[in-house]
Amino acid sequence: MTIPEFKKHWTSLGIGMVWLFILLWPLLGIKPEGLEVASTFNVWWRIALGCSFLLFLYQLNKAGAFKFISRPAGAVAGSMKSATSMVPMAVWFVIGIACTALIPQFAGRYAQDVAINCMIYVCLGLGLNIVVGLAGMLDLGYIAFYGIGAYTYALLSVQFQLSFWICLPISAGMAGLGAWLIGYCSMRMRGDYLAIVTLGFAEICRMVLNNWMSLTNGPNGVTGIKAPGLYWFDFTNGMTLEHIWLKKLSLIYYVILILVVFTIIAVYRLQHSRIGRAWEAIREDETAAEVMGVPTFYMKLLAYCSGACFGGMAGAFYAARMRFVSPESFTFLESAMVLSMVVLGGMGSIPGVILGALALIALPEIFREFELYRMLVFGGVMTLMMLFRPQGMLPSKRTMRSGKD
Amino acid sequence: MEYFLQQLINGITLGSVYALIALGYTMVYGIIQLINFAHGEFFAAGGYVGVIFMSYLLSQGAPAWVCLSGSLILAMAYCAMLAVAVEKVAYKPLRNSSRLSVLLSALGMSIFLQNGLMLTQGVYDKAYPTELTQGGFEMGNVMLSYMQLFIVSLTAFLLVALNVLVFKTRIGKAMRSTAQDKVMSALVGINANRTISITFAIGAALAAAAGIMVGLYYGSVRYDMGFVPGIKAFAAAVLGGIGNITGAMIGGFIIGMVEIFAAGYISGEYKDVFAFVILIAVLYFRPSGIMGENVDDTRV
Amino acid sequence: MKRLFMTVLLAAAVIMLGSGMAFAKTLKIGTMGPLTGPYAADGVDIKNGVLTAVEVMKANGGIPGFDAIEVLPQDTACEPRQAVATANKLINEGVKGVVGSYCSSATLPASEVLDEESIVMITPASTNEKVTSRGLEYMFRMCGRDDDQGAIAVKFMLDKVKAKSIYLVDDKTSYSQGLADGVEKMSAAAGIKVLGHEHVNQGDKDFSAILTKVKQQNPDVFYMSMQNSATGALMLIQARRMGIKATVLAQDAVYHPQLIEIAKDAANDVYLTFGFIDDNAPAYKEFYSAYQPKFGNPGAYSGYAYDSAMAYMMAVKAAGSTDPAKVKAELMKLDYDGATKHVKFKENGDSGSNYIIRKVENGKFLNYWNPATGELY
Repeated sequence: MTIPEFKKHWTSLGIGMVWLFILLWPLLGIKPEGLEVASTFNVWWRIALGCSFLLFLYQLNKAGAFKFISRPAGAVAGSMKSATSMVPMAVWFVIGIACTALIPQFAGRYAQDVAINCMIYVCLGLGLNIVVGLAGMLDLGYIAFYGIGAYTYALLSVQFQLSFWICLPISAGMAGLGAWLIGYCSMRMRGDYLAIVTLGFAEICRMVLNNWMSLTNGPNGVTGIKAPGLYWFDFTNGMTLEHIWLKKLSLIYYVILILVVFTIIAVYRLQHSRIGRAWEAIREDETAAEVMGVPTFYMKLLAYCSGACFGGMAGAFYAARMRFVSPESFTFLESAMVLSMVVLGGMGSIPGVILGALALIALPEIFREFELYRMLVFGGVMTLMMLFRPQGMLPSKRTMRSGKD
Repeated sequence: MEYFLQQLINGITLGSVYALIALGYTMVYGIIQLINFAHGEFFAAGGYVGVIFMSYLLSQGAPAWVCLSGSLILAMAYCAMLAVAVEKVAYKPLRNSSRLSVLLSALGMSIFLQNGLMLTQGVYDKAYPTELTQGGFEMGNVMLSYMQLFIVSLTAFLLVALNVLVFKTRIGKAMRSTAQDKVMSALVGINANRTISITFAIGAALAAAAGIMVGLYYGSVRYDMGFVPGIKAFAAAVLGGIGNITGAMIGGFIIGMVEIFAAGYISGEYKDVFAFVILIAVLYFRPSGIMGENVDDTRV
Repeated sequence: MKRLFMTVLLAAAVIMLGSGMAFAKTLKIGTMGPLTGPYAADGVDIKNGVLTAVEVMKANGGIPGFDAIEVLPQDTACEPRQAVATANKLINEGVKGVVGSYCSSATLPASEVLDEESIVMITPASTNEKVTSRGLEYMFRMCGRDDDQGAIAVKFMLDKVKAKSIYLVDDKTSYSQGLADGVEKMSAAAGIKVLGHEHVNQGDKDFSAILTKVKQQNPDVFYMSMQNSATGALMLIQARRMGIKATVLAQDAVYHPQLIEIAKDAANDVYLTFGFIDDNAPAYKEFYSAYQPKFGNPGAYSGYAYDSAMAYMMAVKAAGSTDPAKVKAELMKLDYDGATKHVKFKENGDSGSNYIIRKVENGKFLNYWNPATGELY
């Protein structure tokens, strides 16, 4: 760290803070009754102080003041890393599942509820990961398939009393069919054109769900959806099989756990198959892939449809767990949320996406304590995360070259 | 016929608003290939700052034209500053990272700004002064209010001014060359960072103008008002050929018209569906928008 | 391993005991409502109403057996997933009574979760019929019902306006559309010609296309069913600017001080169906004097939220505990004049509707027409 650099940092901080004050003042200080500075200053000096302190820490770190901590810490982290890499991935996977399976035994209702939400989003994130992370297509309307899946199960359950387990593949299939329809006309488009078409498709889906009164009951939503059922041993008089509804949170938790495990295995197998390699080739360079004999159009369509199938499955579970669906749950913000999980966690990496989903569902719940500041903090943290780890928290080993189309 | 004329006026008014917002999207996209999700928030912030300045000036007893033009200029300047700040903090450090991470950073900024507005301004709608916006011409059954006239003429003025700026000035030339090739233009002495900041500032200033017009015309602003027009304007920008200024204007007017005519002649609840169906259909037949994105001269 | 297990068990027992003891001393009341998102204004009103009720209760000596009364406000954002999450969170916190939520689409799924744990839920604002028609044990409603409100609106059009034709617009939420559909059916049955029924989407600001249609059809009554009062205000401004001459009739969600603040002169001569509130009743004055200095003028549902929380606390006071069965029994026994209405719960949890027609005159909401007597106030 040189002196000019040091000076430059503090000057830019100074300019930034003046800038911030000018931006804050009209919002806080100008009122029809008159102008005032005190309230703006009150907010501003706290922010300024915090930023100065952070810059100070950053400079100390640059100058090597924290070496006495970071060096041993780095050594410990290094040895931990080498120790963990000794154990194969599959073992970690099994340990992870075992721990997750134990959660309902210890946690309260609220924690279970959050955990279930997390796992729904893990399914969604992994599905979208196929489209965005593996095949490299920007999809801003993924939530449409979640919605299609949810409504498919909801309507089949209410109208025809079909069981959850039968509807699960049907929902996945319907979502895949929807993806095929929209994908067939849009897979030839490039990057951002595809993004807006998928976004448009999701909006169309939501509006149709909201407006097709006779089928979906519009904004009132569909009520009276059955929970998943199961035949279980009943020991009251001898041993008989009895049908039970998995209504309790701790029971339905295991249903989504099974779905998550299934999704993880399926995505893992897909990623390491011939198809997965073709997807990654398309992501890296579509023209080169085409030249090498990869049928890019069908491969992209396949990626889009299989991603949608996982979304549909998660949707069916969502309907079964809430026992109520309404179009409000399938807005653009949800699409953006799932996309954030994939990017934040690390595109193309399964553990990354899982971590991203955990972070993005658990964080707003933790921030609930901040009440109104909740989403403000959330947005800020999202930007900061990207600034410090643009490649995501756990990026895939086969990293992308540039992330361009 | 009267009915058609009235709907046409409605469509042009709405289209003007979309066109102004779409320009910001398209300019930023043209220069750094980023879908700036926070752009809708510039629009909302412009509306808010506009009403703050306007009610202050009114309470000081300033005449109507001073209120209007003063708050318009101040709000545009404010949003330009806001955009530059957002660009420096959230986008510039990511200039060499994957495009998706910048996209996510933009999304985070959008959530942040929206909630920042909510916290400082409250969850309630903020009303614009209505005394400036009364009256209009009446021709038979067709109403053309002064506000509609104001919106359309201001939009036209801004569009012309923007065209002059982009095609006739040095800074416009710098913007166009940076959009075409950052490295080459840096080699010939164009400061890319400054040019990008200026592009953000201009786009946000246009959005702020749109925000004030929306506030004046519809009567109020709310912290989350940037979201829906943001998406529509983004669609408009893509429809015209993203990165293409003329395309964004045309796209904005088309989306506005489609929406109004779909609501007026077919069904109000499905109007957005029609807008998006048209978008998808156009992109199917012309995969890079109506005007195409690689008309080099008009790309910023 | 066994010892570890025992330690964990012991720790858990201590924590549970600790929280159990704390629980005996504090009465926790949860509120649910949208604190963020498009309906945040109404959610904040509900929260403030409950806070005011607690203040008033404390000032009147509190509840014997409870040292403190704590309010836990939760944000549903009017979204089913978040509503269920907050319901579970409140259950975790040991809450036994909940006031909320605002949107019917949040109340419906959340109430199922709360009812499984026998938690009393009183909604101050969800007017959808389904809320109380599902046979939930602990579901109560302080406000009126959509079907009653629609009937009053039609009665007003027939008897007072003597309308021949009507045009309806709603903004597609379970509440606003349900109500508009009801009014449409009843009007048609009563012989009023329905010229059209349009829907707008959430977040729209531009209604010029639809209003042009309305103007062309030239109905006697223009019925506005909006979930959000600010949207209603925007529509009013545009309708007046367009020169629509019809009598404008709206419902209770449009009823909010915001309507007048935003629409200003355009809001004059708008008729609204709303629960009868006697501004001069002592209970209302008590509520108003506690609410106004802190939070400004009460919103549409602040009063109902206040009464909901009051009713719950009075029931707990009478029961001497938060035991749901006892509290329910006491709630059913309540029979008193609240701030907004006479509180007397029916068997299904409804507390009856007392809709009247109110009118905006010179920037104020005034009682206008009493459907029971057919007289002006």
